[in-house]
Amino acid sequence: MKQTAIYQKKRVNHSKWFNKWIQSPKWLAGFGIAFLVAILVYVANIFVGELHPANAWGLSYGIGAAVLFVGVMIYSLRRRTMGIRALPRSWIYLQFHVYGGALFLMLMFMHANFQLPNGIITWWLWILSIWIVVSGLIGIVIQKWIPTVLNTGLTTEVHYDRIPTLIEASGVKAKKLVAMSGGLVRDFYAKHLENTFLAPQPRLMYFLDAASSIHKDTQKFDHVRPFLSDDERLRFDELKMIYRTKLEMDAHFTLQRALRWWIFAHAPLSILLIVLLIVHILSFVYY
Amino acid sequence: MAIADETNTHQDLFEDRWSGYDKQSGITQFSNHLSIKELKQYPLLKEYDDDFLKSISHDISVAVWEKGVTLFEEGSYLDLAFFILEGQVDIFLQKDREVSAQPIFNQTFIKTTDPSSEQQAPAAGASKAASKANQPITYLTSMDFNLPKGESMQLGAGEFFGEIGTLNGWPQSVTAQTSQRTRLIQIRLPALRKMKQESNALKKRLDALYRERALFSQLATTPLFKGVDDHILTQLADRVELISCKPRQVVCKEGEPLDALYLVRSGFFKVAQQIENREATVSYLSKGMTFGEVEYLVDDIDNWQTTVSSVGFTELVKIQLNDVARICKDYPTVPRQLWNSTVLKIKEAGFTRKNLEKSDLIEFSLSKGLVQGNSILVIDLDVCTRCDDCMRGCASTHGGRPRFIREGEKYDNFLIARSCYHCEDPVCLIGCPTGAIRRANVGDVVEIDDNLCIGCENCSRKCPYDAIVMHETGETWASNAFPSYLQGKPRKVASKCDLCHTSDAGPACVNNCPHSCAFRVSSIDDFQQLLAIDKE
Repeated sequence: MKQTAIYQKKRVNHSKWFNKWIQSPKWLAGFGIAFLVAILVYVANIFVGELHPANAWGLSYGIGAAVLFVGVMIYSLRRRTMGIRALPRSWIYLQFHVYGGALFLMLMFMHANFQLPNGIITWWLWILSIWIVVSGLIGIVIQKWIPTVLNTGLTTEVHYDRIPTLIEASGVKAKKLVAMSGGLVRDFYAKHLENTFLAPQPRLMYFLDAASSIHKDTQKFDHVRPFLSDDERLRFDELKMIYRTKLEMDAHFTLQRALRWWIFAHAPLSILLIVLLIVHILSFVYY
Repeated sequence: MAIADETNTHQDLFEDRWSGYDKQSGITQFSNHLSIKELKQYPLLKEYDDDFLKSISHDISVAVWEKGVTLFEEGSYLDLAFFILEGQVDIFLQKDREVSAQPIFNQTFIKTTDPSSEQQAPAAGASKAASKANQPITYLTSMDFNLPKGESMQLGAGEFFGEIGTLNGWPQSVTAQTSQRTRLIQIRLPALRKMKQESNALKKRLDALYRERALFSQLATTPLFKGVDDHILTQLADRVELISCKPRQVVCKEGEPLDALYLVRSGFFKVAQQIENREATVSYLSKGMTFGEVEYLVDDIDNWQTTVSSVGFTELVKIQLNDVARICKDYPTVPRQLWNSTVLKIKEAGFTRKNLEKSDLIEFSLSKGLVQGNSILVIDLDVCTRCDDCMRGCASTHGGRPRFIREGEKYDNFLIARSCYHCEDPVCLIGCPTGAIRRANVGDVVEIDDNLCIGCENCSRKCPYDAIVMHETGETWASNAFPSYLQGKPRKVASKCDLCHTSDAGPACVNNCPHSCAFRVSSIDDFQQLLAIDKE
């Protein structure tokens, strides 16, 4: 086997679902152990001392949660410092981000003694912490689910930012073909296709089954095809291919947009949480 | 009027091809576009008719070189061959000697692009190149030139050189330096190919040169003939047949009688077999590999077990069976090597029979050029969240310009990204007028030196995988820029993946992928391994 002297990253020898959902048994085991330790400490705390957010036990949980949250945020920093080559792989930061985030919520609950808060800021902290972790978990599910839909149903792969340009180019190609065709095809194009080439058209159906949705949408071509001459059929089949590619780009647009947009429900609020956390700490120190 | 236009066209083509060469340091005279009459005065070109000469005239020039100029060194890729009219050229191995200067056809000095600076200065890359001269040289090719270590060869008037590497797309295996004032005919590859096709005499001459200069070394470095005495190999080199194949040409057909043992000189061959009523591709062959040994060695098999066909333009050495038998009889290591190869091939065929999806993978790899690749970026689309951190990472480490696009062919779950494959035989290197695109002396990495690139688009047009793109730099060429046609024009540079070879952290695309779905594979086996894991 040829060996490149530079770099060779090999995938760990695990099954497909494992590589997709878990990726690293070591990180999972590490998280499991940390989670277990947290529970054991909390149980021991119940028997040994009083539980209160402001006493030594409670403060320890709170400090632990705050430190962990800051640590979890380093992933965002890593994504903004890609030019620094010496940094460890981004994947490691993401693993810490995911597992550390879940552990942060656990420590936050322990800090609050698993009770509802009673101040305005603490209420906001409580709600935001839950929101951020839950939205993160939803994000994980979206990031596992959508790539599979994209991969199994579609034959093309396209860069999100180029979709409008490519659709426009497909439209020009389609128009040229139609200009060479007869009245039946022209009418069909004007009625069913022309507007679709104007812009990407997102559809909710693509989230469930992009392939079937596209197949169904292209069936309308079958109703016209038998009435065309052999020459026209060739052009018509080509038109169908262009339309199919356009629908695939619509599917990419819909699904890749979801992959990009979910982050807005997660990341900006984590900045707000950091700010409130600082206010919370300062007010505790002050009073 | 039409004739004048045509002449102008040829003049334009000539300038397009040669304007970068005419002011090379070391050249004392450089021809203008030669007329038919002028071309005909050279014995080499006398036999061709006027129309033919007109069609190749823009690819031929005559230059007079000073004494002691290094024309090229081992490892450089050329798209031209030389024919000596007067003078003498030394051919030697650079590792045996110190060269006196940087090679002309591999490195060139260009003037700074800074409009405020009128002073002629070597670009930053030139100093880098000079510092590289002190580093150990990586020899990129097996030594396929019959030149014993420590010896040199003097070529005089009427002799060719540089033609083997040029015609085969290989890096030059020797260094060439003028040992006196020398006048050369310089023939670019398209003209050389046409001349070889047009004239049987030239074909015979070039084949004879190949036998004389390279075939012995090639046979001697083939593992099959390890330990065979030199005089036997010399005799063999005289007897073998040299075959050039066109794309998809069938060399041997399954079921037909075995006729010879074949050795691949250049290019790739597809090996197919009838399995379950369909022709399945069971493996492929590349430079230095042999076929025919299974049929030759295994009793009761007299016919070809596979169909072998060329993928692109390829070259073969055909060795007669009685020669093989004679060598096998006298040198027991040869049949042992053949048996080893046979066992491997039978195992491989058996594996493909059981795993027919590998046949599809080989077929795909041959058609899409993956077999050429030393480092191919593949992305698992079932895991990839299209976050584009791979591209952003690439851009961040390359001055804001990504060196690849996250688009390309799909195979199974994987995207073969449009990123440089760092090919085994990099065609992009052939004909670069400044030597800006080159092997980086680190593994198989091909890199472009921005300071040497003049934006001619040669490499970008030659890359079969669309992995080289042109970028506007926002600068303008200085008024003293060289070649002169660049002066005052916007500066463009070619851009491609350099595997981040200057960093120990590895390629930024892989390093910055947060989902661990970007991989660099260096062979079909690597890729097959990824695919197999995905199937579990």
